Amino acid sequence: MAKNPNQIRAKRVVSDYVIDIVTVVVIVLVFVLTLYPFLNSLAISLNDADNTTLGGITIYPRIFTTKNYEQIFSNPTIWKAYGVTIARTVIGTVGGLLVTGALAFALSRPGLVFKKFYTMIFLIPMYFGGGLMPSYFLNVKLGLYGNFLVYIIPSLVNLWNMILMRSYFSSLPEALEESARIDGANYFTIFWKIYWPISTPIIATIALYFGVQHWNDWFTASLYMTTAPDLRPMQNVLMTVINESRAAEMIASTSGGASVAGDALKGQKTNTRSITMATMIVTILPIIVIYPFLQRYFIKGIMIGSVKG
Amino acid sequence: MKTPQATGNSAAAKKSSWQKLLEQWDLQALLLPGFLLTLLFTYVPMYGVIMGFQQYKLGDFPGFSEWVGFKHFIDMFSLPDFGLSIRNTLVIAVLRMLISFWIPIIFAVLMNELKSQGLKKTVQTVSYLPHFISWTVTAALLFDMLGTNGTVNELIVNLHIASEPIAFFQHGEYFWAIVILSDIWKELGWNAIIYISAITSVSQDMYEAADIDGATRLQKMWYITVQSIKPTIVLLFIFQVGGLLNSSFDQIMMLTNQMTNPLLREYADVIDTYIYRYGMSMGRFSFAAASGLFKSVINFALLLISNGIAGKLGETALF
Repeated sequence: MAKNPNQIRAKRVVSDYVIDIVTVVVIVLVFVLTLYPFLNSLAISLNDADNTTLGGITIYPRIFTTKNYEQIFSNPTIWKAYGVTIARTVIGTVGGLLVTGALAFALSRPGLVFKKFYTMIFLIPMYFGGGLMPSYFLNVKLGLYGNFLVYIIPSLVNLWNMILMRSYFSSLPEALEESARIDGANYFTIFWKIYWPISTPIIATIALYFGVQHWNDWFTASLYMTTAPDLRPMQNVLMTVINESRAAEMIASTSGGASVAGDALKGQKTNTRSITMATMIVTILPIIVIYPFLQRYFIKGIMIGSVKG
Repeated sequence: MKTPQATGNSAAAKKSSWQKLLEQWDLQALLLPGFLLTLLFTYVPMYGVIMGFQQYKLGDFPGFSEWVGFKHFIDMFSLPDFGLSIRNTLVIAVLRMLISFWIPIIFAVLMNELKSQGLKKTVQTVSYLPHFISWTVTAALLFDMLGTNGTVNELIVNLHIASEPIAFFQHGEYFWAIVILSDIWKELGWNAIIYISAITSVSQDMYEAADIDGATRLQKMWYITVQSIKPTIVLLFIFQVGGLLNSSFDQIMMLTNQMTNPLLREYADVIDTYIYRYGMSMGRFSFAAASGLFKSVINFALLLISNGIAGKLGETALF
């Protein structure tokens, strides 16, 4: 991409400078607007709750404190929710990778018997679904209501991820399979010992997709965990915290702000604000830590999907 | 077990499918768990849509309730909020097509004009980040930034745009703008990846040839960069049309506190949230299933049409 200066250069005209300025402005704007909300909430979460009431917190805490975090971690709900989130993310990602990966591998083999039939079977659900209600009652009938397995089993197969993995396996040389077959290896060995180890880019990409899907899911718990609060993940805890602080703000703003009730609520209100931001930071921390490491893979992964998908 | 495979292809070719199936039992076994799970979790609910033509009562096995024909569909069209949810779905979808769709393209084209590779990489890495963040978290950020004592209101008051902070989430008329802007904020970088990669594969010779012809940068941006990603743009636009009814359920549920904010419903209720409200909050299961089926059928038709057009344009469709 980078071009040397000794090439033929067109004379720069006014519009060229305008483009330079526009480019830099837009890109800096994207950079700042993307990062600012995160840094702002990080600052609020690390700032003294009463001091936050004064307003004007930007990207650094004015009075540094870890009290907000201490407060949320003193709540056993957070620990339980965090445990549930980690458990479902790890189990769901590993299980999803294996089941979806094995399926994708089998479908990528040219010699698969009934390939046309299978392709149809897996194509249809990508276009048409039964919708929320039938799925809900199916899961309830299967005994998944209030059951941890509702997080895992229905999402073991992800057809979109399957397509990406299938494309990747198809792109690997067929000779790998053929020579292993001649050596007498069965397909389990071929899948696990030959194809899996050389598919790191797609596995990392799909692991990230599965992981993020599990980490971010709140809907499953809101449908199936209404009577099992201990099995709710972090997202749902955060949701509860948000709803409570929204309710507090609603009351404060309808009472006119300057009124006695508004003043009385002021301290409590920003306290909920600090707590909300601290909970939010705790919720996103693992994703922010892990995703830069997987980044170099998923760019490749998304390209496989877009070129071949 | 191993001998028949080793005997070569000529013998295998004559065997029936069933014999071949037995021979590759291990390959079929790899496929089996995924196959059974797909049958159970996607095909059983497909059959379950018949509850939309029945009167489901709690405890019934889906599909074995009293038949009521098209009653729920007739009810659906007579309720005013169904029309409203269709309107909101379409308005948000059209706004996405007119605004959110184009921003990543502009961003990608401008990124190509950036000379510093280091800056480019940093900005790109940062720009994907919000894609991996849930709507729950995004809503937490938005409620805080747009709250009466949040950053946006601090700016508004300090710059004297308004004398009082604006309670954005208590007035429905701001809702569509919030949906579109937050969608752009969250997906800009991610949606731009595909365009940025497409631009990377544009031959540098074209730019050099244009330099020799004395083209300005603006001309090169338009006639080379934009023109060479045009097929990608067209394809993605067609798919966007195909997903017209798939409003961002997560986003709208979160921004409306799971549809518990009555001040926003007039602008926020889309088909998906409508189905959720009737099915989950009001317990009108069959009615919600009927609405879901209505949506699925239209969605299916839209997808087939858009995929058909994409196929005609010479691009590979889904499979």
